[in-house]
Amino acid sequence: SEMNKLWVRMQHQGHSREREKREKERQELKILVGTNLVRLSQLDSINVNTFKKVVLPGILEQIVSCKDAIAQEYLMECIIQVFPDEFHLETLNGFLKACADVQQNVNIKNIIIGLIGRLAQFAERDPTGIPEDVQLFDVFSDKTAEIIQNRSEMPVHSIVALQVALVNLALRCYPTRSDFVDKVLETTADVFSGINLEPLEYNSETCKELLKLLKIPIDSYNNVCKILELPHFSALLDYCDLNSKKLISSYILQNALDNETLIDSEERVDSVLHLVSSLVMDDDSDSQGAKVTEDPEDFLEEQWLMARFIDLLKSEELDNQYIILNMAKKHFVKGGPRRIEFTLTPLVFAAYSLATRYAATRESDDKWDKKCQKIFQFCSQTIMILSKADLSELPLRLYLHGVLVASETKFDKAEGFAYDFISQAFTLYEEEISDSKAQLAAITLIMSTVERARCFGEENHETLRTQCAVASSKLLKKPDQSRAVALCSHLFWSSKPQDGGRRIERC
Amino acid sequence: MLVLVIGDLHIPQRNHSLPAKFKKLLVPGKIQHILCTGNLCTKETFDYLKTLASDVHIVKGDFDENLNYPELKVVTVGQFRIGLCHGHQVVPWGDTESLAIVQRQLDVDIMISGHTHRFEAFEHEGRFYVNPGSATGAFSPISSAGVQPSFLLMDIQSSTVVTYVYQLIDGEVKVERIEYKKPVAAAS
Repeated sequence: SEMNKLWVRMQHQGHSREREKREKERQELKILVGTNLVRLSQLDSINVNTFKKVVLPGILEQIVSCKDAIAQEYLMECIIQVFPDEFHLETLNGFLKACADVQQNVNIKNIIIGLIGRLAQFAERDPTGIPEDVQLFDVFSDKTAEIIQNRSEMPVHSIVALQVALVNLALRCYPTRSDFVDKVLETTADVFSGINLEPLEYNSETCKELLKLLKIPIDSYNNVCKILELPHFSALLDYCDLNSKKLISSYILQNALDNETLIDSEERVDSVLHLVSSLVMDDDSDSQGAKVTEDPEDFLEEQWLMARFIDLLKSEELDNQYIILNMAKKHFVKGGPRRIEFTLTPLVFAAYSLATRYAATRESDDKWDKKCQKIFQFCSQTIMILSKADLSELPLRLYLHGVLVASETKFDKAEGFAYDFISQAFTLYEEEISDSKAQLAAITLIMSTVERARCFGEENHETLRTQCAVASSKLLKKPDQSRAVALCSHLFWSSKPQDGGRRIERC
Repeated sequence: MLVLVIGDLHIPQRNHSLPAKFKKLLVPGKIQHILCTGNLCTKETFDYLKTLASDVHIVKGDFDENLNYPELKVVTVGQFRIGLCHGHQVVPWGDTESLAIVQRQLDVDIMISGHTHRFEAFEHEGRFYVNPGSATGAFSPISSAGVQPSFLLMDIQSSTVVTYVYQLIDGEVKVERIEYKKPVAAAS
């Protein structure tokens, strides 16, 4: 302890001299003081208690009272580096208080981030090394809040950088405490609202730090559903500009796809689609007109990503699956005509697949017919939305698929739905498809569907094959006509051979 | 010479990606040619196939975005003329006789088609007919019993082709081996 006092005096002298001499000498003195600290740390006689009661308070007092920003910064960092983590753990409160008291222009953020980093590493390596009474996260969280309050000139991006360090601490040392993570997000959001932050510009420092902050829990949990449980995540996301929102949304979707995370309940589907709403629909609040400069290739990639994500909105339980599809549709219809061809299509296929699965439960579920009917109504409405949006090839094909599903599942009233669907297909064919190549392709599809379908009674089938024959003969080019009529003949084989012969002659 | 025969992926309309176990098997650099039956459906998937081999041949499926793919294609690999067609144009779907019409029209030794999402490999009138099924196990209304993900790898050596069928059954990859020899006298 004698050595301590001697050392403290030496340091005090060192500080006064710093203020008088030139830069070069300052450098040398800096090293000298640093070395002293190292010496100090190497003294065997110092244990945790001496450090806590004598050494550190003395050092800190010197640092604070010298009021020299550069010295303070250097010395604080020295202390962190030089003394073992166990000491720091015991003296956190004191150290952090000193941090609050140093000069305003000291880059305190780096110091604290450095300290947090070290202790986080220590805690990961040896969780039992942390004394019972040291609640690492709480201490840091509270003290950093104090520090931020005391330093009104601290730039926002530094504040966010501190939060990044805190959230890392929370995730690495307390992986089960998602409330810690949320607290960090809440604090950041409060800071933002306290200073009335404008929506952040894309490449600003603050924005970059904020994006880092948001990505960390996504990467750490690798389970999008856990992100949905953090109430302040979306609040923070709202402070971002449109580009950042899209970036984080895509990041979330990609993470879900990489980890095959299923979103298997109505509430979760609702939450997640709200969260990524920047991709689901146009952002009316975007005053910068960013959507005008949107790259079409980027848009395609975005929507393909969303469409792939829809494959994850599923539940093993069939009734639940139906509810999920309905919830998803509610969100996606807001996407506008540009998006629905990408988003509603997977929903229709998922619905058809669901109908097939219901049909397989016909023995055990006596409501399966009604459920299939509801599904077909769902599909009918959804496909109608697509065809009203000036799409024709896609809805036509979706209707035809519906006919086949109805045919295979054979639920009660299936023929009605199938006939309705095939009529819709014909309407689309006659009214919307004008290119001759497309016409041949479409009528071929219609005919092959009718050929394959087994759900039409004789009367309906008669009507349909006549329609097909007529349509074939009306095709523009002769070769197309003959090809189509030849295909059409298959429809007549499936019914009665004599009729077929007559019809083919007529063509 | 290794030829990958694959199709009916329906990404992203019906599936989000190839099964992970298939992706692990499909490594770039090992395959010389890719013959795709169509229904990818987007450019993303086409680009992915191009990373596996530079020689990619594809025909138009009924849901493909790119309207410029041809309806039919013939590719010669080694001694074999191989015909490629998605199959939705062949009525009735999957019917052997109707497929044979296309085979004769193209005059090919091996006829590849898709659309049914069901793996097939058989000989008919001395020619070899294959269907790689759906690589993602995509939903098909005409295959209500469920679709197993599958694709084919053909090893073409002089006048023999050995077809390896990869299927994902109950989460495990199962492989079958089928041999076809080109008939010596190419009469008729």
